[in-house]
Amino acid sequence: MKLAVIALLLAGGAGLAAAEPVVERSRLEVQPGGQPIKQLAIENPLGDVKIEGYDGASIQIETRKLAPDDEGLDRLRVSLVPNPDGTVRLTTTADGGSEYRKLPRGAVRIDLIIRAPRDARIDAVASGGHLEMLNMDAGGELDTASGRISVRNVSGELVTNTVSGDTSLVQVFGTIEAQALSADLSLDTIAGERLVASVNHGKIAGRRIRSRHVELMSTDGRITVEAEAVLRGRLVVSSLTGDVEVRLRRSSPVTIRARGTKVNLGNAMANVKQQQDAWLEAQVGRVAPGATPALVQLSSRHGNVELVFIE
Amino acid sequence: MKCDDVRPRLTAYLDGELEGDRGSVVRGHLRECAACRHVATDEAALRDGLRALPTLDPPSSLWAGVQAQLAAAEVADARKPAWKRALARWAPSAPRFAFGGVLAAAAIALVWWRTHRADEMPQVADNRPTPPVISPTFKAASQAPASAAPASADDVTADLAADAARLTDSYAMTAKELRALAAEARGRWSADRQAEYDAKLVELDAAIAQAAPGRAQQRAWRALIRYVQGAVVRDDVALAGVAP
Repeated sequence: MKLAVIALLLAGGAGLAAAEPVVERSRLEVQPGGQPIKQLAIENPLGDVKIEGYDGASIQIETRKLAPDDEGLDRLRVSLVPNPDGTVRLTTTADGGSEYRKLPRGAVRIDLIIRAPRDARIDAVASGGHLEMLNMDAGGELDTASGRISVRNVSGELVTNTVSGDTSLVQVFGTIEAQALSADLSLDTIAGERLVASVNHGKIAGRRIRSRHVELMSTDGRITVEAEAVLRGRLVVSSLTGDVEVRLRRSSPVTIRARGTKVNLGNAMANVKQQQDAWLEAQVGRVAPGATPALVQLSSRHGNVELVFIE
Repeated sequence: MKCDDVRPRLTAYLDGELEGDRGSVVRGHLRECAACRHVATDEAALRDGLRALPTLDPPSSLWAGVQAQLAAAEVADARKPAWKRALARWAPSAPRFAFGGVLAAAAIALVWWRTHRADEMPQVADNRPTPPVISPTFKAASQAPASAAPASADDVTADLAADAARLTDSYAMTAKELRALAAEARGRWSADRQAEYDAKLVELDAAIAQAAPGRAQQRAWRALIRYVQGAVVRDDVALAGVAP
C-alpha cells in the first residue's frame, strides 16, 4: 500500500515536472535595405513589447517564446517583413488547425525586445501585454487592449490608445494624444505644441506639464495636474463627476475660467467675476494692449475645482 | 418599484452589476426619489472615499525581512526529499480555501452592513442636483480583453481572431453609455448646439460604418467617443470638438 502511494506521488511529480513551460529565445538583426529604416510596425497580441531607440541603423530583435510543450512552441510564429521603402513589419501569431491540441491563450507567450534606430517611427499594437517605448525621436502610435503603456524619453507625434491598461508618459516632447476607456493616466515632464488626454473611467495625474495647448478630460475620475501657463497657450481641464485640482506656474497673464460644485481659485478669488453662464472668471496679471493671455479653463459639473498658483 | 426594492440593489447598481432593464429601473427610481438618491450619493461617496485612501509604503526593513525568510525557506526546501516537495505543492491549497472563505464572509458582512445602514437613513427631501450615476455596465465589457474570452475561443488561435471584435464591442459599449449621458445633458444646450451635436454624430457614425474593420474602425470609434465625451464632460458642444 505504502509503495503504491509513493509510486502515485512519484507519477504526480513527474507530471508536474512535465508541466514546466518550454522557453525558446532567439536574436535577429535586420540591416536596412536600400533606404534607412523609417518605420517599424509591430503587432504582438501574445505578450510584451519593448522598443528602445539607439544610435545604430539596424533593428535588433530579441524574442522569447513560452509554451507548455514543444508542440505549443512550434505553433508560435514571429514574422518579419522588411520592405524596400524603409518600413519593417513584425507580427506574431499562433498557428491553428485541427491537427493541434487545444491550447489556451494564457498558456503561451511571446515577448519582444526591439532596438531600433532612434529616428524610426513606431506603430505598435499589443493586447494584454506591456507596451513600452524608450528613447525614440519620431514618435509613434501605441495601442493596447488591457496592457499597460509606458513611454519615456520620446519626442515627435505620439498617439496612445488603450481600453483598460494604465498609461504612463514621462519626458515626452511633441504633439501627444492619449486616450483610455477604463484606466489611469500618468503624465510627467511633458512639453510641446499640444497634449490632449482623455480617460472615461479613471484618473489623470500630471506634473511638469508645459505644452502650449493642453486638454485633459475624465468622465468620472479625478484630475490633478501641475502645469505651466504658456504665453498664448491654453489649459482646459474637465471632469464630469471628479474633482479638478490644478497647481499652476505662471509667467505671463492668465485668464481663468472655472465652474464646479465648489470653486477655489486661491489668490485669484479676489478678482473673480461671476459670468451669466455660471462660469467664474478672473484675470491674473496685466495684459498688454493687443496681447492674448493664456487661458486656463477648469470645470467639473459634479465635483470641486481648485487652483493653486505656485512659484 | 419601491424604495425597499431599490435599496438592496444600490451597491450592485453603483458597481455596474445591474445590466439592461434592471439598471434602468433603479436609475428611473433614483430620478424620482430624493431619499434613495441621497442614499446612493452617500454610498458612492463612501466608495470613492475608500478608493482615495492613500497607499502606505511598507518600511524597507520589511522587504529585507521577507527576503531573508524566502532565502531560509528555499534552503529548507532544497533539503527536503523530492516526494515531500511534490506533496507540498498541493498542501497550500487548504489555507487558500480557508482564506477565500474568510473573504467571502467579510464581503457578505459588508453588504449586509451597507444595506442596513442605508435603511436607517432618514427619509428627507433633497433638492441638491443629482450627479449622473454613470452606469458602469460597460466597464466589464471594456475590460473584457484583460480577462474574459468568448466561450468558444478555448484555443489561442480562435481567441486571437476574436480580439478585434472584443475591442469593437468595448468601444461600442462606451459610446452607448456616453450617448446616454449626452442625451441627459442636451436639455441644457441651445437648439443650435443640439443641431450641431446631432449633425456631428451623423458624420461620426458614418465614418465608423465606412471604416474598414480593424484599426481603422477602432480609430473611428475613438473619434466618436472623444467627441461625445467632450460634449458630456464639458457640457458644451462648442468645446467638444475643440482642436487647438
